[in-house]
Amino acid sequence: MTRGDKYLAAGILLVAIFALAFPRLQSSLFPMATSSAQAVIKARGKIVREVDLSDRGGRSTLVVNGRVGPSTLEVEGKRIRMKEANCPDKICVRQGWIEKPGDSIVCIPGEILVRIEGAAPLDAVTR
Amino acid sequence: MFSTRRLVFLSLLVALGTVLHVVEGFVSVPLLLPGVKLGLANIVTLFAIYLYGLRAGLAVATARVLLGSLIGGVFLSPAFLLAFSGAIASTLVMALLFKHTSCFSVIGISMAGAIGHNMGQLLAASLILRSSAVFYYLPFLLLAGIPTGLFTGYILMTLLDRLEKADILSGMIRE
Repeated sequence: MTRGDKYLAAGILLVAIFALAFPRLQSSLFPMATSSAQAVIKARGKIVREVDLSDRGGRSTLVVNGRVGPSTLEVEGKRIRMKEANCPDKICVRQGWIEKPGDSIVCIPGEILVRIEGAAPLDAVTR
Repeated sequence: MFSTRRLVFLSLLVALGTVLHVVEGFVSVPLLLPGVKLGLANIVTLFAIYLYGLRAGLAVATARVLLGSLIGGVFLSPAFLLAFSGAIASTLVMALLFKHTSCFSVIGISMAGAIGHNMGQLLAASLILRSSAVFYYLPFLLLAGIPTGLFTGYILMTLLDRLEKADILSGMIRE
């Protein structure tokens, strides 16, 4: 091993440690910067509401106007559900609560989309 | 193009690399992270760069990945794309360092190649998944690249040493 090799290994090590520490550092220094999950609500293709899903929040409802009339969404702490809807099949209502980033409720007749966004856990591993 | 003599040695290297590529697919390193491999096939790529330069390295790496994934049955699948982008990235990094720097031995170049391989893979994975979430994996892959790069570099160093002592190396490089 030459001296260059050793410097290279040390450099990679430093970068790796920094990369490991950085997200944690960032979240501990700026707790607000890395916000928790958000429910993004789209109706007829446009974002109509963004709701923060945090532990602190209590129970609340909000009404979204879709293509088939108003639908009622309910937020409770970290989770959200479609409480009432005017659509014929009620698939969105029967889906119940969602809470994980990446989860979504879709109401096709009402053209309403609720999707939870936030720091998702790893969803794939390279091999 | 390559002379017949080189072509023969390159073909041998492709065969060697293919075998290592396939065998490595069966063997997973215990204790380590999922997806972390020793990168044995990279030894052959670096050997090709050492002997004949960047073009030969790219030729060997490409042929090796194509043949290896045909044998493994993953041709044109995401696994193939990951292996391919990783191999190309590591070849480029290693050839660059080999040609334009003099402060690294094959061990250092091998380490850089391992890192290049992982970066190339992550880049491909993020494109396939259309998500940058895979980059959370980067520090772990960087850490894993040091020992695996050291290991494969050490193997190549030993190999070069023995070939030199047996007076074979100069014959391989000669046109």
